[in-house]
Amino acid sequence: MGGKVTCTLGEVKNRADFIVYWGGNPAECHPRHFTKYTLTQKGRFVPEGRKGRTMVLVDIRETPSVRAADIFLQLRPGKDFEVLTTLRALLKNQRVDEASVAETGLTIPQLQDLVDRMKRARFGVIFFGMGVSMTRGKHMNSAAILRLAAELNAFTKFVCMPMRGHGNVTGSDMVLRWTTGFPFGVSLARGYPRFNPGEFSTVDLLVRGDNDAALILGADPGATMPQPGIDHLARIPTIVLDPKVTHTSRLARVHITTAATGISAPGTVYRMDEVPLPLRPALKSPYPTDEDVIRRIRRAVAAKPAWTPSPDARIAGA
Amino acid sequence: MPILTLKEQPPVPLEAESLSPDVVAALTLDAIRALPVHLGKSRRSVGDFFEVAGPHGDELEIRGDAAKVKWIGRGMTRGRITLLGNAGMHLGSCMKGGSIEVSGNVSDWLGAEMSGGRIRVGGNAGGQVGAAYRGSLTGMTGGTILIGGSAGLEVGMRMRRGIIAVAGQARDFAGLEMKGGTILLRGGAELRTGAWISRGTIISLKPIPLLPTFSYACTYNPTFLRLYARHLSPLGFVIPHDEKDGAYERYAGDAAVPGRGEILVWKPAGS
Amino acid sequence: MLKITGGTVHDPANGVLGVVKDICIADGRIVSGVDGGRSIDATGLVVFPGGVDVHTHVAGAAMNFARGVTPENYRRAVRFIHAPDRRAGLGGITPTTFATGYMYAGMGWTTVNEAAVPILSARHTHEELHDIPILDKSSLVLMANNEIVLDLLEAGEVERARDVVAWLIWAAKAYGVKAVNPGGIVAWKSGKNASTLSAPIPGYGHLTPARIISGLAGIVDDLKMPHPLHLHGNNLGMPGNAQTTLETMKVLEGHRAHLAHLQFHAYGGDGWGTMRSEAKALAEAFNARKNLTADAGAILFGDAMTVTADGPWEHVLHGLTGRKWSNVDVENETGCGIVPYTYKERSLVNAVQWAAGLELLLLIDDPWRIFLTTDHPNGGGFWRYPELVRLLRDADHRRECLKKIPPKARGRMVLPDLDRQYTLSEIAIITSAGPARALGLSRKGHLGVGADADLALYEEKPSNGLMFEYPRYVIKGGEIVVEDGEIRAVTHGREFIARPAFDDRIEAYLRPLFEKVYTMSFDNYAVEVERLGQPDIHPCA
Repeated sequence: MGGKVTCTLGEVKNRADFIVYWGGNPAECHPRHFTKYTLTQKGRFVPEGRKGRTMVLVDIRETPSVRAADIFLQLRPGKDFEVLTTLRALLKNQRVDEASVAETGLTIPQLQDLVDRMKRARFGVIFFGMGVSMTRGKHMNSAAILRLAAELNAFTKFVCMPMRGHGNVTGSDMVLRWTTGFPFGVSLARGYPRFNPGEFSTVDLLVRGDNDAALILGADPGATMPQPGIDHLARIPTIVLDPKVTHTSRLARVHITTAATGISAPGTVYRMDEVPLPLRPALKSPYPTDEDVIRRIRRAVAAKPAWTPSPDARIAGA
Repeated sequence: MPILTLKEQPPVPLEAESLSPDVVAALTLDAIRALPVHLGKSRRSVGDFFEVAGPHGDELEIRGDAAKVKWIGRGMTRGRITLLGNAGMHLGSCMKGGSIEVSGNVSDWLGAEMSGGRIRVGGNAGGQVGAAYRGSLTGMTGGTILIGGSAGLEVGMRMRRGIIAVAGQARDFAGLEMKGGTILLRGGAELRTGAWISRGTIISLKPIPLLPTFSYACTYNPTFLRLYARHLSPLGFVIPHDEKDGAYERYAGDAAVPGRGEILVWKPAGS
Repeated sequence: MLKITGGTVHDPANGVLGVVKDICIADGRIVSGVDGGRSIDATGLVVFPGGVDVHTHVAGAAMNFARGVTPENYRRAVRFIHAPDRRAGLGGITPTTFATGYMYAGMGWTTVNEAAVPILSARHTHEELHDIPILDKSSLVLMANNEIVLDLLEAGEVERARDVVAWLIWAAKAYGVKAVNPGGIVAWKSGKNASTLSAPIPGYGHLTPARIISGLAGIVDDLKMPHPLHLHGNNLGMPGNAQTTLETMKVLEGHRAHLAHLQFHAYGGDGWGTMRSEAKALAEAFNARKNLTADAGAILFGDAMTVTADGPWEHVLHGLTGRKWSNVDVENETGCGIVPYTYKERSLVNAVQWAAGLELLLLIDDPWRIFLTTDHPNGGGFWRYPELVRLLRDADHRRECLKKIPPKARGRMVLPDLDRQYTLSEIAIITSAGPARALGLSRKGHLGVGADADLALYEEKPSNGLMFEYPRYVIKGGEIVVEDGEIRAVTHGREFIARPAFDDRIEAYLRPLFEKVYTMSFDNYAVEVERLGQPDIHPCA
């Protein structure tokens, strides 16, 4: 339980002959995925390019990505966990209930065929998107994909990778991990890092109204959060740093326009496979960078009476 | 027994792990008032939020809507906490002994990773009752948790021993990755009960949807249930077990692991 | 300016073996005398040059991967509470970056060598190293499964291979070259391994692990790198692998080389049931081969985290223990496997491993060639080095510990017969002077005039805990950073990088190759020197 088996995208390009996209629509959301990494490139060990690869698309509806798929498995909404759990069982030659499987919109022969193909692959990869991680089951859907990929290694090389969203969400994950130990949902209230998704993750804090101020950088929760969360953001002092005036800006107390990172501000971006790439700005901006603004805020905060956590904070928490 | 009455609603969650019999037992009321609590990033005192009265001792009574007060009873080994009202997250987390009684509702992580003692909640519980914290291999390893209302997601996730009984309905993933112990669902559950179970028993008194990786084994009246019934009946949880009333359908799973857990679903006679 | 008076100084590099003398510091260096400034009365204290960890894993993709998959460990970890001059952090078996600096400095270690960096994520490693306070750092770049280099070695194009290696070292802004399981990681990408030094690697015509080893060792020598090829040999962790290690030593004849975490390569037997320590045979062979240095990679009973580029080994470990397994294959270069592990006294295999590490340290006769490490976090957390020191200095304590291991294990080792006790000066060599010399860091590991003013002052018999656990003072670059076990000042260290010479035209060779097999623009590959905090460039001439 736990753990993750993955690779960098070049391994997919050079070796993968079986590619599954689950709960994602790369044709529209990661428009260069097929051509740069997964389907059309001639790989070192897949010199035939597209012909040497099989692509399976698993989703609840037909999206433009279907056109690139060799096999399309359409499952009913909210059934990813059931299907993935069934695949894990079939992989181990275990019995599954036919009627239950039928409720997923797929059949046992379809799933058995998928398992057999995966086992026969030389190098398989499952890319999973928000259709998995953001639907009923959430992290358990992602866990199911991770577990399936790991278990397939008893038969052949198999990896999985999340199709990370726009912006530098992977970068924030990386930096938070090395500075605090945890990828997101980190509380420093007791003076040291603590992690508990559901308690300290953004949507939960906002919906419960557990925070009394907010600084929003590189995100637009005012557009994506459930209404109670948006209402809470409007009630508390909210500060937004963004190149554009966003939905959140409109309900914030302060909006500071900053230069767009990657276009007018330098930095490092981490790709979905956690490979770092340098960002060299092509344009100049009249606005300060996010970094400039945060440093200035920090200097102003440092000039105030210091807040130092109490010694008994050392025994806090779980 | 000290009586703490919440006099001021904390504007953000209050972390109050010092509200535990082990901590307050030997303290005077003034010392209790001076105990630290954390309001967000500030250190405050119990007395800032609670009126403290009553004789000292290791039985603590807390009155008021403490829904935003977290970590009450953390790691307690003895004594008793009575909450007349609601309580926040992590109530009785890592508890080793003693008892907690709550008249109202509680939030997530009730009795997380507890190893002994008893928790009773009159109202509803949140998610992760008796569960393992994220990444941890094992949840509850002993003790009893009784919930009078409904419960949230992941009840008993990765528990290894102990009993959790829920009168109302549980949400998804009750018994997720269970390794042992017993979960009683009087009001049934939503989806994915017993997902990835390797060992343990889940008893549902209402029909519940099951994962495709569970197989029907038999219909019977297991004798061990009489013991459970005798144990839980005085605590207000009736487990039907008489042949004339019905029988249990036993489902074995989860084949995905493959696990040797079981889900027993009550089938009343004549249905 | 700082003067440390009356301390018992151990500076073995300069022949000072426990002599009471004063140390004078100005502008971050040791000087012959100072006028004014602060004075520390070190009467009764032992003065050591700051510790140098020659092989540890503290920064970069592998460690960050380990952090991410084990959030539960942090609940038991030491907590660093933030303060106006101090960052928050967590210790444990995979410390966060700020905590890493505080923890090493808190023990009196002042320089660390990050032992395994893929070029593809070197940028990430440098970002993490930048966030490790106080310590000076260096890093080693992974080369022995780099497919462009392997192709050149297979084709016999040694000159070109040398230029590529040099270019890659500079692209990664590394200090040295690391070889891990030569050929084995590239074989792992098709689910195989490379267990025989003289057998062609799966996927190659005639290239063998032995050829990779000798090829790279030769290249590193030709490039005049300050540190020799740093080798994690084939068959790590497997019973009987001492044979592979002896063969590897033969392959390295005529070259300098550093053998990493030798303990993990010191086993006899032909299966887990017959596994034994062959440290004695290895030590004898090693003693005779003066071209080699090694670090112990000793294990300590308790929790560890196996994090290594040796992917096949990690899959084996997962199968043996059932503990959670993580793996990442890095295109064209390397890979990484992670499995949390706990060493137990009652395990026969773990007892043999524990003994083997100590046997190597006790039987290798030249402390200038064997260094104290646990291959953190693989053998145990680095903050437990004081426990190892105690085991080396106190034979009675060793005997007490031997009583706790299974009786059957005693027949698999020679440790019970070893009476040697390390002197303090010898400890100073294996924790500081020796590693500094092996790394080619001429201003580290000693307290002669001109050296960097990195030192630690210890009570020899502290009332609480072990010597080296809580130094009374730690000085880094002439600043007191630790006093009475507490961080007093947070400085920022340098990063040592090497600049080997290469023919510039090699870039024209590399560019099209790179664009074909990698997935980024060639211009994004090399790390710009401006991105490093305080680079200290060592030209290789």
